[in-house]
Amino acid sequence: MPIFEKSSERSITRAIISEFAKDMEKFSDTDVIVIGGGPSGLVAARDLALKGVKVLIVERNNYLGGGFWIGGFLMNTITVRAPAQKILDEIGVKYRQFEKGLYVTPGPLACSKLIAAACEAGVSVLNMVSFDDIVLREKNRVGGAVINWTPVALLPRQISCVDPVALESKIVIDATGHDAMVVKKLEERGLIKTPGFGAMWIEKSEDAVVEHSGFAHPGLIVIGMAVSTTFGLPRMGPTFGSMLLSGRKGAQVAYEHLKGDKD
Amino acid sequence: MSTSRATKTELKRIDLYSSENPVASHLDGVREYLSSLFPTVEVEIRPCLLRATKSKIVDTLAGRLASARMRNPASRVQDFVPMYGEVEYEKRTIRGSATVGGVVYDASKVAAAAGSLLKSHDSLETASLVFTDRLVSTYSDDDMRHHLRTVVCGFPGVLSISGIYEAPARPREYYFAKRQLKAESAGDLALAELEQAFRDEFIDYGDPRAAEALKGLSLQAVMFHLSLEPFCGDSRCRLFNAHWQKDLIASQIVSGRLCDKHEEIVKKLSKKPVLSW
Repeated sequence: MPIFEKSSERSITRAIISEFAKDMEKFSDTDVIVIGGGPSGLVAARDLALKGVKVLIVERNNYLGGGFWIGGFLMNTITVRAPAQKILDEIGVKYRQFEKGLYVTPGPLACSKLIAAACEAGVSVLNMVSFDDIVLREKNRVGGAVINWTPVALLPRQISCVDPVALESKIVIDATGHDAMVVKKLEERGLIKTPGFGAMWIEKSEDAVVEHSGFAHPGLIVIGMAVSTTFGLPRMGPTFGSMLLSGRKGAQVAYEHLKGDKD
Repeated sequence: MSTSRATKTELKRIDLYSSENPVASHLDGVREYLSSLFPTVEVEIRPCLLRATKSKIVDTLAGRLASARMRNPASRVQDFVPMYGEVEYEKRTIRGSATVGGVVYDASKVAAAAGSLLKSHDSLETASLVFTDRLVSTYSDDDMRHHLRTVVCGFPGVLSISGIYEAPARPREYYFAKRQLKAESAGDLALAELEQAFRDEFIDYGDPRAAEALKGLSLQAVMFHLSLEPFCGDSRCRLFNAHWQKDLIASQIVSGRLCDKHEEIVKKLSKKPVLSW
């Protein structure tokens, strides 16, 4: 007696293609595209999905979570400063207090729970897909993202005919970390000029990342470490509280904007 | 302004514009202090000038504040077109949905932005003191870099509340020890212990001494309005321009009074506060 039900290679292939094609059709026009599936992107996507917003995460790796799997120096203890532990409470991550206001938890636990929480909230994911360019609309408003399979970037230069596709959205969120890839595309076009590092008030930089999370350009919200690059805040150490709260702030700003569009 | 315009003008009002997140006792103390020194002058606490709800004011003010950002500590703030995101951030701070922090602003541009909102801007009978939680700086030609400021005298005068904690330097030993801890990747607890060890030597956030210091710092802004001479060289006088926290504490907390010379000047002004420039 076999363990599994009978099926065929043909059926399995059809199942993959038809379901993925359905998803791709759905993705082609969505409310919010989050570029980057690290902690800030996951929190933003989850918060929006819980409010009924159609959200797609575009992640260039095959795994979500970014640097949230590990803490500093490749050691997989995650540190979170109060009040960001409340987000860990929401997604059921156990942690312990290391010292007053500083909490620790294993990276694999926190990261896997956050990914699960985002997916369960209804967030769609395109992994192994890289952000290639921005879609610009009237008055240079960002209106979507051009994407391609990540392995395409690794093809020999002779193979240059693998064109990307474009997805439309009302808002794009740049959650690509220090690279700030979406912002950089605007900068390449001369549509934005970031101030560069060094002029910020270093003692308050973690707060400033959260407070500056929001629109950097019409149609484009920045969260996480992309905020640091965009607004010239200093780089920060391996603590994730501001990443989680920045994601939440970005989601709030996006939701208010979308609500305003509907009103 | 011409000299003839100012001469014989009598100060009749001092408007204290609250900071973005005011501590009630701060400005109450300043009002009482200034009222006691200038009994003929009406001293009033007014709402924050850098907060607004009307879209037109929010938009204009946000643009001006975003353009006032100090982007490079080693050069004067040039005219630049701020990023959309910087203007949006300022809109949130003006509406009160984002906390001020992490940004240093050029003091003269903040003063100009605030001044443009003042109806009394052209009247020297009113001294306007704009309190803010924003950090402000001025550029010095002496060492060609920006310096954080607590009081920036002018019309209006700008007083940075966060500047009380951040602008005057803490003891050198504190900075050495802090650098050492950072090099050792010490945690927040070790840094908190360091702050505790030096707690009497600087005024930190939440320190009740800030309210007392603010009184003397406000007087400096008023003295500028009256005489264009806000400071005194005596480190035990409340008009001493402190660049170190120890001097701030010595002049505003330990001494807490004016030197004999300024005691006399203020005594005369208390009867009739006439502008002398």
